[in-house]
Amino acid sequence: MKRSGLIILSIAILISTLGVFTIYSSTYQKEQKQFKALYTRQIFWLILGLAAFFIVSQIDYRHFWDITYFLYIFTILLLSMVVMFGVVRLGAQRWLKVAWVNFQPSEIAKLTIVIFLARYFSKKTIDSIASAVARFKILKGVIAPFLFVIIPVGLIVGQPDLGSGAMIFIVFIMILFFSGIKLKYVFMLIGAIIASLPILWRFLLFDYQKERLLVFLDPNIDPLGAGYTIIQSKIAIGSGGLWGRGWLSGTQSQLHFLPESHTDFIFAAFSEQWGFFGSLLLLVLYYMIIRYGLLIARRTKDDFARILAFGLTAMLGTQVFINIAMNMGLAPVVGLPLPLMSYGGSSMLVTFISLGILANIDKTRTVF
Amino acid sequence: MRIKTTFLIITLFFLLLFLRLANLQIMHGKVYRSLSQRNCIRLLPQEGIRGAILDSEERIIADSSLAYDLMVLADIKEIPEESLKEMAAILETDIKDLKPELKKRRSLSFIPLTLVEKLDIKKAFALEELKSQLGNVVIQPSSIRTYPYNQLACHVLGYLNEIDRSRLKKLSDYGYKSQDLIGFGGIEEEYDKDLRQEEGGLSVEVDHRGRFVRALGFKPPINGKKVQLTLDLRLQQLAEKCLGERTGSIVVMDPQDGAIKAMVSSPGFNPGIFIDRSNQQLRRLLNNPDAPLINRAISSSYPAGSIFKIVVAAAALETGKINLSTTFTCPGSIKMGNLEFGCWNKHGPVNLLSAIKYSCNVFFYRVGLLVGAQIIHDYALKFGFSKPTGIDLPYENTGFVPSPLWKRFSKLKNWYDGDTLNLSIGQGDLLVTPLQVARMMAVFANKGVLVDPYIVKAIQDEKVPVSKGRTLNLKKTTLEYIRAGLKKVVSDQGATAHVLADLGVDVAGKTGTAQVGRDKEPHGWFAGFLPFAEPKFVICVFLEYGKTGYAASLVGKQLIADMLKEGFI
Repeated sequence: MKRSGLIILSIAILISTLGVFTIYSSTYQKEQKQFKALYTRQIFWLILGLAAFFIVSQIDYRHFWDITYFLYIFTILLLSMVVMFGVVRLGAQRWLKVAWVNFQPSEIAKLTIVIFLARYFSKKTIDSIASAVARFKILKGVIAPFLFVIIPVGLIVGQPDLGSGAMIFIVFIMILFFSGIKLKYVFMLIGAIIASLPILWRFLLFDYQKERLLVFLDPNIDPLGAGYTIIQSKIAIGSGGLWGRGWLSGTQSQLHFLPESHTDFIFAAFSEQWGFFGSLLLLVLYYMIIRYGLLIARRTKDDFARILAFGLTAMLGTQVFINIAMNMGLAPVVGLPLPLMSYGGSSMLVTFISLGILANIDKTRTVF
Repeated sequence: MRIKTTFLIITLFFLLLFLRLANLQIMHGKVYRSLSQRNCIRLLPQEGIRGAILDSEERIIADSSLAYDLMVLADIKEIPEESLKEMAAILETDIKDLKPELKKRRSLSFIPLTLVEKLDIKKAFALEELKSQLGNVVIQPSSIRTYPYNQLACHVLGYLNEIDRSRLKKLSDYGYKSQDLIGFGGIEEEYDKDLRQEEGGLSVEVDHRGRFVRALGFKPPINGKKVQLTLDLRLQQLAEKCLGERTGSIVVMDPQDGAIKAMVSSPGFNPGIFIDRSNQQLRRLLNNPDAPLINRAISSSYPAGSIFKIVVAAAALETGKINLSTTFTCPGSIKMGNLEFGCWNKHGPVNLLSAIKYSCNVFFYRVGLLVGAQIIHDYALKFGFSKPTGIDLPYENTGFVPSPLWKRFSKLKNWYDGDTLNLSIGQGDLLVTPLQVARMMAVFANKGVLVDPYIVKAIQDEKVPVSKGRTLNLKKTTLEYIRAGLKKVVSDQGATAHVLADLGVDVAGKTGTAQVGRDKEPHGWFAGFLPFAEPKFVICVFLEYGKTGYAASLVGKQLIADMLKEGFI
């Protein structure tokens, strides 16, 4: 393993460990037993994630090229299964029960779509150049990939999981931009999306989603309802102050004023305990993963690897940004976990697999 | 390369997160910290007990006992239906009545809401037993004033009521809050700062549903200090009984140091009705034309009538204008200009002693003209008139003594001899309070000292320092002559207060019948002291529109007789 991969791994382990501690602090005094055990399960997921990382980092990433279409169809299948016999939790049907675990196919979809797009915008041969992509017309450059992306995204949004859907879409646009498509096409797509927003609002969004978006603009319109989470999250972060309130001492998360303090709002719980300096450290750690991810993307000579590395990094970075922004009231409350920190096996596993792919790209770049 | 642009954009976005973080945690950290505390900290105020008011023998006149308030910490949804039912059963209300009450104030979830005030102790205990089931219900004791003797000494005590705007404005710096109970009138007002309890409280941490987590701190409430009066409860009871339904006032004072032994004003009121807030009773009280809330002993002034002749006599003796042998003839009236100033009888030749004895107007007209209005005024002031006595009760009336200068400057009229004649017999513009009269009478009882009346003996067992009063430096003869005159008022056959002669104790005193107006009955006065040789009591009886001084002296007689029977003398 090369240096960048090692650094990414170390940071990922560090963040995940902080995550385990935060999950412990948020759940250790809940009444229900299953909550108290959450951190041990997260440790289990972390170990599983690490194992996945080591396995994936040993597999040549070019195998993903080979199985792209299989992966794509497999993912669509999984997402359809969610619609048909998924497990309903918290009012959304996002989980599939396999053996004894519930897992979230939308997490796998994130990975699949990145791989798919990386293959779409690159050639298998090493001598292909990005200029080939630059010659793409609108049909091949935008509309065709859009259609491929919209099928899984549509299934995800229908779960309903607006956050993941929107997030994948943002990553799609970032990959479009990065692949070398003519800029005007990118902007045309963005323009088209903006133009269709009112229609989406009218027909696609559930009332509670609309409420969340409105509340984002002004949390005080419904302080005890939809605005509650965001108000409590801001209070939790703000009350951390410079040095934080200390381990296990944050009243917002300890006394459960902050909902979802072990999943989507884990950043607020962390921030309350460790204050500005702790949170800053966390931001820097995430920033470094992204930095090294992009470094790997830049260094590799393989188009597929480059787009893949970029896409995986963008996926991670976008999730981190949206989640933290949402915690601080800068983005609407959408159900997006904070990768590596939030409790959840699927997210943990998929994130470590992504990082494993990155590490593998980093390792194999000098082959060419 | 587009990768650099992307990297730049991502960096910018992270910078945005950083700035937001700094904004939340560094710039607004304190605000959010206090918000988080408000989230999870509930204050349960705990009241102390207001100090009791005791009489001179440590009998309790106004007490404070505990009442219990039912408070709810959490959201109604957190209280199980079953428990609510039981709670409603104990409170003897329907569960439906309870629910809207609970919901109404839900929005202020950080303040525990008071569901029911002033529960009786049985209900409070029943609820307390239920507490483990209810969980978030708190039974909070609070102080409530009780008056074991109901109306007794109501004017001295005053009453408790919710603080009004003007008082709040003045006192908010001293920790008074709106809706606080504060003393109105009497001891309750004057000594409110001592009697007043200090609120303590418990701060508790609650979780997001308002459930109790742990106690954070406790500041014990501080009970108010007890205030001991010089008042003797039994004497007060006798005095109130003697005055009965009559409108007026009785003051009984120790002539040696000015300690008030009894102070009655009638009609009275029951201070308890301000606690119960019975609107009807309150309205009746406030609309009563007899003004039952006014303490007639100190807060209202009246013409003095013949009682004031003593002051005139003292002024004349002190200035040497008369002596014991000075004699004037009383033909029944005196002419001054076109006006005729009458006496109530034809007394013939009278000297000072007989003039006091018979309360002869003509003698004092003559003396008044000899002495002059200004000097009478000055002596009146020397005897404490036209000034507050300084008793430790609020709303004291200063009374008024007219003078030529006053009339010229504030009424822009000349002072005529007729005015002097009126002043000489305590009529005209002269106004005095019963306490001022008692204080003046005390000068002759204690032989020359103007005492400072007081009513509070000790605060929390710490004696209040007593003023020694002011020695008026009157001539021995002056005191001797006037004391002799006052004694004759009672002892001599045919004198104005001869009814008091057969009591078995030597009483000295003076009656007064103060004309008020043409169509109103005159006020009756009696002021005196006893026993004559070593006076222990000064008594002033005032009957508003009581017709005669004789009527007042009858009340005085009854009181003295009762005091003898009860062993006070």
